[in-house]
Amino acid sequence: MNQSRRDFIKANAIAATAVAAGVAIPSSASNLITDSAESKIKWDKAPCRFCGTGCSVLVGSQNGKVVATQGDPDAEVNKGLNCIKGYFLSKIMYGKDRLTQPLLRMKDGQYHKEGNFHPVSWDMAFDVMADKFKSALKAKGPTSVGMFGSGQWTVMEGYAAVKLMKAGFRSNNIDPNARHCMASAVGGFMRTFGIDEPMGCYDDLEQADTFVLWGSNMAEMHPILWSRLTDRRLGHAHVRVHVLSTYKHRSFALADNGMIFTPNTDLAIANYIANYIIQNDAVDWDFVKKHTHFKQVTTDIGYGLRPEHELQKAAKNVDSGKINNLTFEEYKNQVAEYTLEKTVEISGVPANKLEEMAKMYADPKKKVMSLWTMGMNQHTRGVWMNSLVYNIHLLTGKISKPGNGPFSLTGQPSACGTAREVGTFSHRLPADMVVKKKKHRDYAEKIWKLPEGTIPAKPGYHAALQNRMLKDGKLNAYWVMCNNNVQAAANLNEETLPGYRNPENFIVVSDPYPTVTCQAGDLILPTAMWVEKEGCYGNAERRTQHWFQQVRAPGEAKSDLWQLIEFSKRFKIEDVWEQELLAKAPHLRGKTMYDVLYRNGNVDAYPIEEAQEINDDAHDCGFYIQKGLFEEYAAFGRGHGHDLAPYEMYHTARGLRWPVVNGVETKWRYKEGSDPYVGKGKDFECYGKPDGKALIISAPYEAPPEAPDSEYDMWLCTGRVLEHWHSGSMTQRVPELYRAFPDALVFMHPDDAKKRNLRRGDEVMVESRRGEMKSRIETRGRNRPPVGLVFVPWFDARQLINKITLDATDPLSKQTDYKKCAVKVRKV
Amino acid sequence: MNMLKKIWLILKTPTSAAVGFVIALGFFGGVIFWGGFNTTLELTNTEEFCIGCHEMGDNVYQEYKETIHYANRSGVRATCPDCHVPKDWTHKIIRKIAASKEVWGKITGIIDTRDKFQEHRKSMALREWKRMKDNDSRECRNCHNFEYMDFSEQGSRSVKMHSTALASGEKTCIDCHKGIAHELPDMKDVEGWH
Amino acid sequence: MKKLITGLVLLGAVANAVAQKDDSSIDTFVNNGGVESLRGKAELNETRQSDKMKRVLKDRDVVERNYVHQPPVIPHQIRGYKVDLKSNKCLSCHGWKYAKKVGATKVSPTHFETRDGMTLSDISPRRYFCQQCHVPQVDAKPLVKNDFKAVKSLSYK
Repeated sequence: MNQSRRDFIKANAIAATAVAAGVAIPSSASNLITDSAESKIKWDKAPCRFCGTGCSVLVGSQNGKVVATQGDPDAEVNKGLNCIKGYFLSKIMYGKDRLTQPLLRMKDGQYHKEGNFHPVSWDMAFDVMADKFKSALKAKGPTSVGMFGSGQWTVMEGYAAVKLMKAGFRSNNIDPNARHCMASAVGGFMRTFGIDEPMGCYDDLEQADTFVLWGSNMAEMHPILWSRLTDRRLGHAHVRVHVLSTYKHRSFALADNGMIFTPNTDLAIANYIANYIIQNDAVDWDFVKKHTHFKQVTTDIGYGLRPEHELQKAAKNVDSGKINNLTFEEYKNQVAEYTLEKTVEISGVPANKLEEMAKMYADPKKKVMSLWTMGMNQHTRGVWMNSLVYNIHLLTGKISKPGNGPFSLTGQPSACGTAREVGTFSHRLPADMVVKKKKHRDYAEKIWKLPEGTIPAKPGYHAALQNRMLKDGKLNAYWVMCNNNVQAAANLNEETLPGYRNPENFIVVSDPYPTVTCQAGDLILPTAMWVEKEGCYGNAERRTQHWFQQVRAPGEAKSDLWQLIEFSKRFKIEDVWEQELLAKAPHLRGKTMYDVLYRNGNVDAYPIEEAQEINDDAHDCGFYIQKGLFEEYAAFGRGHGHDLAPYEMYHTARGLRWPVVNGVETKWRYKEGSDPYVGKGKDFECYGKPDGKALIISAPYEAPPEAPDSEYDMWLCTGRVLEHWHSGSMTQRVPELYRAFPDALVFMHPDDAKKRNLRRGDEVMVESRRGEMKSRIETRGRNRPPVGLVFVPWFDARQLINKITLDATDPLSKQTDYKKCAVKVRKV
Repeated sequence: MNMLKKIWLILKTPTSAAVGFVIALGFFGGVIFWGGFNTTLELTNTEEFCIGCHEMGDNVYQEYKETIHYANRSGVRATCPDCHVPKDWTHKIIRKIAASKEVWGKITGIIDTRDKFQEHRKSMALREWKRMKDNDSRECRNCHNFEYMDFSEQGSRSVKMHSTALASGEKTCIDCHKGIAHELPDMKDVEGWH
Repeated sequence: MKKLITGLVLLGAVANAVAQKDDSSIDTFVNNGGVESLRGKAELNETRQSDKMKRVLKDRDVVERNYVHQPPVIPHQIRGYKVDLKSNKCLSCHGWKYAKKVGATKVSPTHFETRDGMTLSDISPRRYFCQQCHVPQVDAKPLVKNDFKAVKSLSYK
């Protein structure tokens, strides 16, 4: 970071405030600079709290409160810009109903599942909680405890949680809400490249000639990246933008070629493009021969529903992720099926539009950047679909080159940094390692200084399965942290709600605000948020960003990290480990989980003096815990292609893109000259795979699990809106954002409305086989669905569209498909 | 008797009979033709006629359906001819004669696809805007009569423009309200647009 | 034992609820415990009546900002205002050429800067889509009061 420039900006900001001060005091212009102490604002950087773009924000505080925010001009990601949500970050912590003390359901002074919430002390909260976890462990063992975490956790919080669950409680039942959002992307990366996360970076946005959006409404969901893309398109006449979606949305405003396709048929479209490339002799043979193998998926794998569901029973190869070898000729024949005519017929996209897009990919002179988010990830064939797009880039060698490459955008601020890199999934460990592999478990246990065999080998319950297991009474002590899953998880009526309210279960919910998840829980823990704690986030381009605590949390609210640490103190290691394991490490006997996990010589290695004056978590521990956790975690990835810089480097840098080797970040992975891990003279090396070769994985079009029929006659697609972040628990409490988009609406084609005798603004009942919800009709808003499809955003707690959505998942990634199910809409 | 004789005499004289017949025929024929012409003319002045060809029905009409002139608070609608065909006879006929070009366009299929329509959108829009500008937005004013605008009921931004530029005649409706009922073409180099 | 029976009965209720999609049987154990969320007191298994569609405030004065770099909200309605590849309706009033004449707020000078801080002669294309930052407001009371306090010099009212 350029110190002088940053200071200059600060000075400017202060001056600007002062100017405004002058305007506000009309009596005398000489009052311009009054008391400097009064007009002074303390500025510091922080990554934005919302999406995966990872904009840097300058946060201004005065007298212990945030009073202003602005885009960080020094940040490469956003260069001084924010979107409307980012600009209103100043207000997200100040909703009147912030939770300030623990609340427990009680009757007659005792915990009671059917009781009302009463304020209790942290001590009592942890006592009851520890008691419930202990009795679950005793009765049913480690698989009866679990945690649902977050891609909005800080890196350190996610890491501390993984240790607590996987090594402490010895349960792999920890999964993040990122399962709903990025799991298919992870699956695609791991299968095709053997290593997670994009090879390219945002710099591609300034260099591509053609952009293809595969199921992403960047204009609303990644506005700052959209502004970079817009800059490129409007500033360079030859640049073209192709947008694929199942309905027309704001990104179509910049589309030279906008395409509406029938849900699920993106599989066919991607295969058509591969076919076009082969038929038109546009394969980069030099690249393909040197750097790829051909494979094919196992088909007919079901839809991740409960095993007794008829679709699961009908599938031949349920959940099979097996891939088989294929020759190029066989691959060619498989995609040859997807002719232009057939693809037009399946997808409903006009031939000239498909061809126009295919030509761009096939033209060796055009640099193409493919971008996608939930349209491709929330898809029952999401892993396949991710690979199908990689196939196109691998066939043409358009990868890992400036302006050329596939780019999987992320939803959450640290879906990459925390959920994926730290590995808070039920099957993962840090740095792309997995619990299934003994080598990986050994590695983790060694870093953690724990006996061999501590980490269980069997993957735990993933997100959808956790709710099913809660309902079935197999998961009984459950901690929901930093997410609002009662509003997010599909099929609320049939799975989540019965699961949370199952009398056998004890549900703890940590949140800054009373969410619907809190309402379904049994113990609510008030939580510090964003700049009320120190942390790190990792964005979609592998950029790790750090921020210091800047203000104190209200009342007794405490960070997730503090909560995890304090809770760990409630358990003796004998409470959670069986004798057999303890026998391997007798020196740990009598210690608490806290001692074993966090006072292991690594996490507590850095003295409190190194921490900032305001760092409540560190001062409560007595050592610089964030640094200790970060450095221990970084040991997993250093030397393994996931290198992070020393912690201090992040204090000033506006983030660094890993691998960071010798203090230098990596922009394009697998590319010689840019990525230090690529062998000399190799030009391109996909080192995530043993032989350095990426896989071109053939997969066919398969039908979705549920499609409109005569009764439920419309497609439902859900998603976000620009002004609200996810479930709206923060943004709905900012008056300006609430007034910008107050209620969820059912976006419908005017002809569909007419057919149902509906007018704009009419109240309607939206119904699926699983539930119903009342909303209002919008026929001319920002989203324009085709006839036969409705779009409903999910931010509105008053409507709960997840009563209607289907809990079908990609059988490989276990990620829910929120983009398609069948509904009917009728006038109320 | 005298009367009968007179009629007989007229009929007996062939020239005068022919003249009378032709006059009568001309009169009634004129009535029928005129009526037919006007009826046909009026028929071409309905929304159904306008959107009968897909070029209009699939493009501009769909766009118009989303706008304030189609759906609004009070349900008063302006249909295609309300804005695009003059009300008084002379101008109407002139406009209708000009429309023969559109018929030719229809026959030759010059805008028979969405892409082709988009290609020609700017030239078509410029022509219509010029027509409106030249006639001081006459068709707008059939409903939006400046004389009867109640500024106390208008928004402050509207009052500002209507009480100055519109009142002085410096600007006419279409100068500011382009694209009020249809999608805009590329507005590069159009006056008043960025 | 009594607890176990209750548990079994309630579990039965769950199964029943699932089988019949009948909300009434969930009622016995769904209870928000007196905590209000953004949906207020409405229970989670209740199908809440939807709120009326709110109306955009059509004609207001400029709304004061809470801090210097807050993008001002749009104090008027923008129905039908297109911003796309072909046109930008906002700039036909807020562009510097037109702003004075129509009495609109001029686009701020920051909007002329490129990513690298160079000032252009016209609006930077990266700022082209106005609604990424500027939004109209509906006529509605906030769902929850916000205690944010602006610095003294910007505390209006």
